[in-house]
Amino acid sequence: MKTKLLAALMTVSLATPAFADLSGKLVLYTSQPNADAQQTVDAFKAKHPGLEIEWVRDGTSKVMAKLQAEFAAGDPQPDLLLIADTVTMESLKKEGRLLAHEGADVSAYDPAIMDKDRTYFSTKLITTGIVYNTGASMVPASYKDLLKPEAKDSFAMPSPLTSGAATIHMVSVTSNPDLGWAFYEGLAEQGALAQGGNGGVYKAVAGGEKLYGFLVDFMAIRGAAEGAPVAFVFPEEGVSAVTEPVAILKTAKNVEAAKAFVDFLISEEGQALAASQGYLPAHPGVPAPKGFPARDKIKLLNFDPAAALEGDAANKMKFEEIFGG
Amino acid sequence: MRSPSAFTFAGGEGLSLAAVAFLVTLLCGVPLALLFAIGLTSEGGLSLGPLADTLASRSVQRALWNSLESSFLSACLATVLGTVLALALGLTNVRAKAPLVFLILLPMMIPPHVTAIAWSQALGPASPVLQAVGLAPAAGAPHPVYSLAGLVALLSFQHMPIVFLVVRAGLRAFPRELSDAARVSGARAPRLLWRITLPLLAPSLLAGFVLAFVSALGNFGINALIGIPARYTTLPVLIWRRLAGYGPSVIGDVALISMLLGIVTLGLVAIQVLLQRRMRNALVGLPQQPLAVDLGRARLPVEASVWLMLAAALLLPALSLFATSLMRTYGLPLAASSLTLENYAEILFRQAVTLRAFANSTVAAALAALLIAGLSILLGYFLAMRRGIARRLAGLVAAQADVAYAVPGLVMSIAFILMFLRPLPVLGVSLYGTMAIILLAYVAVFLAIGLNSVMAAYMQVDASLDDAARVSGAGFFRRLVRIHAPLVAPAAASGAILVFLTSYNEVTVSALLWSSGNETIGTTIFNYEDGGYTTLAAAMSSITVVATVLVMLAVNGLARHVPAGAIPWKD
Repeated sequence: MKTKLLAALMTVSLATPAFADLSGKLVLYTSQPNADAQQTVDAFKAKHPGLEIEWVRDGTSKVMAKLQAEFAAGDPQPDLLLIADTVTMESLKKEGRLLAHEGADVSAYDPAIMDKDRTYFSTKLITTGIVYNTGASMVPASYKDLLKPEAKDSFAMPSPLTSGAATIHMVSVTSNPDLGWAFYEGLAEQGALAQGGNGGVYKAVAGGEKLYGFLVDFMAIRGAAEGAPVAFVFPEEGVSAVTEPVAILKTAKNVEAAKAFVDFLISEEGQALAASQGYLPAHPGVPAPKGFPARDKIKLLNFDPAAALEGDAANKMKFEEIFGG
Repeated sequence: MRSPSAFTFAGGEGLSLAAVAFLVTLLCGVPLALLFAIGLTSEGGLSLGPLADTLASRSVQRALWNSLESSFLSACLATVLGTVLALALGLTNVRAKAPLVFLILLPMMIPPHVTAIAWSQALGPASPVLQAVGLAPAAGAPHPVYSLAGLVALLSFQHMPIVFLVVRAGLRAFPRELSDAARVSGARAPRLLWRITLPLLAPSLLAGFVLAFVSALGNFGINALIGIPARYTTLPVLIWRRLAGYGPSVIGDVALISMLLGIVTLGLVAIQVLLQRRMRNALVGLPQQPLAVDLGRARLPVEASVWLMLAAALLLPALSLFATSLMRTYGLPLAASSLTLENYAEILFRQAVTLRAFANSTVAAALAALLIAGLSILLGYFLAMRRGIARRLAGLVAAQADVAYAVPGLVMSIAFILMFLRPLPVLGVSLYGTMAIILLAYVAVFLAIGLNSVMAAYMQVDASLDDAARVSGAGFFRRLVRIHAPLVAPAAASGAILVFLTSYNEVTVSALLWSSGNETIGTTIFNYEDGGYTTLAAAMSSITVVATVLVMLAVNGLARHVPAGAIPWKD
């Protein structure tokens, strides 16, 4: 009897190989740029041709607003979120919206960037520093260079009201004792344009409408590789970083496929894909793409996620007050 | 024979009217009523408190002022431009009028967000066209379009065609006797224009001005894509940014701002109606062929300046848009090595969202056009009656459609969210987050366009036809299908095509209603541009512009079969 049961179990487990043929629809909300999101989805779909994958891209803050609307309507669409920062994920986890994926293999990763309850998983390291148009006369080395007269009326930055990375950058920079909110007020006096997302800043600097900007590393480094007149600076005070975590919603309709997607993103193959797209992979064993300094050379600004979540609304209000939203 | 006043609510006639009235009220009247109900109540009682609180906010005050300022200035400029063009084409012997009218009306049919993208690419330091001729501003120089002047210029250019249409229609209905009398008495052209033509045109000028004003107030594409980089926030942008940035937890706050925008719009329309009533001149004369004053030696210069103006206004942005869509990456100088078809390949073959958006918009616009054509034929039948309860009820229904069309699309979409966010009774599903809510919003907002076309045709149908059929015992549906529908069908078709083009190119209605899988062309282009993928936005815009022009040209084939005025760009 016992052996029969065992044999039956064996057959079941054999009949369900590691990559079971998944089917149905999988919906992903992401803040990744369109082309990268499409590539990631295509690479995953190549493994599971039976899946139909639908995705929506917008800035993290706007993705969250959309999701809140769907929570209110009682019918959240996505199975998965792949958004800029862990602070947002932490707040969703607190609300009990996230599903734990106990089986995920995170052994290779720095435990500091993974949720210990396995509800969200960092997929890359995206730093925010300074981008400049190569036609500019002054090459900034420090944040304070942006307060020089050369940068007057020609600086742009993404708004925390749109972008998750910009929120973390604002918190990191303003909690640095040398910079603080006084630095952001200085930027406002410089006539800084602080609206929209990272894409808008890239467009303004690459198009020469602005000469300097705060920007996520990969956009500038990738644009420079394509020949656009831009270059990226890791300022001497340090850069802020987000880790673009992925998470499964409790309301996910296709949990198996969602778990497979998470597994794919944190696998070495998924990490290599991220590196090939020009991102700094979160997996320490996967080499950084061209154009980045060695990983131990990148200095990070201090950042306290718990304090960031606590002061989120107040920080954004303060930002709106200084820059007029 | 039954007289119209003997109308009863029994039978197919009454049921049909009741059904149309119910549907239109549900889509146009109730959502707006809900919006106003939220704005005008507090703690269960009627109160102006919430609205006063909203008005006290500094950011709302600034946005309200900016909206009024930019819309007023752009309406003035649009009125001048539109009137000058209408006079040149309507009163003189300028040649090639048909292609000129087509080109003058083109800006109206091009989506505003595309206009904004094209001009921002045309005049910036990275402008492919200006770089090619060595006129591009230096890197870091302020972008000329990202300013109040730029915003006003683009808005007035977008809405100039509306003024042109209204003034041209005014010229058509112009009794020739007066101008003939003045000319016989020896008045010369300028004096004729100043003393006779313009005063008589005053109601049309006012109507054109108010239409341009109201359109600018509700314009989202230009206000967002030009106003945001110019740090000039207007009400539509404030509404969009609050809702997109904070989600429906702020819907109450946003509803109040939308209501404010709605009140300003409706107030302007009401003032126009009042003023027009006082100005109405009872004049002799039927609509007739307008004058064709011989310009003599001035003809060539006048023609040249009209063509030059249109070329500058259309060619520069179109070329820049097209060139940018071929750039490897934004910011490169225009050279053979920087050109590529990659952007088209990306949006057509790799980005799933783009094709989905094309499919969604095409289907939603086509369905909305069909539904509106059907509703208009039915509702128009009752509107064309001379009197009676049915006529009055139909008038009430049509008024709701007019209001829904007049208030900005963004305000209607807020009203729709308020109405349809919660699950529907009985069915238990929410329409929010589905294509259905966008389709229904199109029907509500654009019904007035279809109705307008159909009414032009109904007015020409002789009432005795209906009477004759009645006497012969034909029932309501038989009369509708065999007599009225065939007679008004061409007009309904051209109205449907206008509705199709408008919904195909809109972004104001769907900007807040789109969701995963339910993207429209407008939201996709807007999101590409907003996300910084300006080359992809340019590629998709180019395809849309070409498609729009092709549809407009195809519609010219319908021209022979419809009453004059049903196709705006045809005489």
